[in-house]
Amino acid sequence: MNLFLSQITAIVWKDFVTELKTRELFSAMFIFALLVILIFIFSVNLSIVKASEVGPGILWVAFLFSGTLGLNRSFVLEKENGCLMGLMLAPADRTAIYFGKLISNFVFLTVMELFILPLFMIFFNIDLLEHLLPLLLVIFLGTLGFCALGTLLSSLASNLKTREIMLPILLYPLLVPIVIGVVRMTGQILAGEPLSEMMNWIGLTASFDIIYIGVSIMTIDHILEE
Amino acid sequence: MMNPDAVEEKQEEGNVLIWLTGFALLVAMIGIFIYVPTERTEGVIQRIMYFHVPCAWLSFFAFFVVFICSILFLWKKDREWDIYAHASAGIGVVFCSLVLITGPIWARPIWGAWWVWDARLTSTLILWLIYVAYLMLRAQSDAGSMRARYAAVLGIVGFLNIPFIHFSVLWWRTFHPQPKVITNEGIGKGMDSSMLATLGLSLCAFTLLYFLLMGERVRQEKLKDEIDRLKREKLYSS
Repeated sequence: MNLFLSQITAIVWKDFVTELKTRELFSAMFIFALLVILIFIFSVNLSIVKASEVGPGILWVAFLFSGTLGLNRSFVLEKENGCLMGLMLAPADRTAIYFGKLISNFVFLTVMELFILPLFMIFFNIDLLEHLLPLLLVIFLGTLGFCALGTLLSSLASNLKTREIMLPILLYPLLVPIVIGVVRMTGQILAGEPLSEMMNWIGLTASFDIIYIGVSIMTIDHILEE
Repeated sequence: MMNPDAVEEKQEEGNVLIWLTGFALLVAMIGIFIYVPTERTEGVIQRIMYFHVPCAWLSFFAFFVVFICSILFLWKKDREWDIYAHASAGIGVVFCSLVLITGPIWARPIWGAWWVWDARLTSTLILWLIYVAYLMLRAQSDAGSMRARYAAVLGIVGFLNIPFIHFSVLWWRTFHPQPKVITNEGIGKGMDSSMLATLGLSLCAFTLLYFLLMGERVRQEKLKDEIDRLKREKLYSS
């Protein structure tokens, strides 16, 4: 178990060091999310529609789109210098590679989301601070589900010729349940409803996260196999 | 190599299935257009139900077969299961498209709109997108073990998504007619017996059609493999 954990930490550490050196992924994701929010603000008339009604949807679309940028990067980067081959040759379990990638994707996306939230607050004139804790729970559940499935599919898509095109096509239909769930929950939270009102959605997103992490553990061996 | 006797026997089986399916479809057509009475409130358009429901059943069944064959493939690593999964996904997508086409034709006069964002419509559309992506994934990668493994993983992941889609869009919103065949009062209470019989007949005919198409698709894929093998053999021998 200890060995397994240190293998995961090694992979996560490697990703962090690369990112700290280059800083290309994080800034790209952040600016892209900002652009998505801006484009949506231009496309809906905020003087007619209530900001708290369209806000959650726009926020999550921005998260998912920029998250996809990150996912696309995550395995392609490994492919470039044959790093993935090195990882697979290392005496580590394939699940460790999956978890390492999952954690680094998750952390990058979450940090980016925490940077976007204050800007969202300003642009939409919504006070998030009073609902911060339930909102963070929803962001955690949604981001984890997105990364669990996204990491699996990005490891798969990275071996295709048209990987940047195929990843969203494969990923988005499968993400629909979790997107509906988190957008609904965010809307309810911003409307001031307590978490106990949305237990069904929490159950749905949490079981989505668990099942897809489980499926990934079972199938990653078949994807990372040369 | 198959021996010629086996091939002939197989073809005879196929012929029986063709005749059986043709006959069942003919009887079902007679039932749908002549025998069954017209529905009182919805009128003649309601007859599309006898195509709509079997198509939906068939596509869900086909996707279930994809799921099972994908698991079996990852377990046994036998090309046979990959062929079955591929064939079934193709048929499922075709019939899912038919559901998405017949649905709006039925909905327009009854609901007054081609499309409403009802739970079952939405989930069928998402399902269609998932399996179209599955077929695209297969088309994008070269034949071989990689394609089969990736497709199998997607076949499993996609099918496991169905309960999540179901509940999420159900809680989102719904106005579809409640299930008429299996209701709380028991099986078949919500419908006239002649309608139920016609629907049953149509379901049987479509299920036979599935097996017929499946057999043909599997045969095609196997022939494709055989051609590839022969090509390679001739290429390297000369």
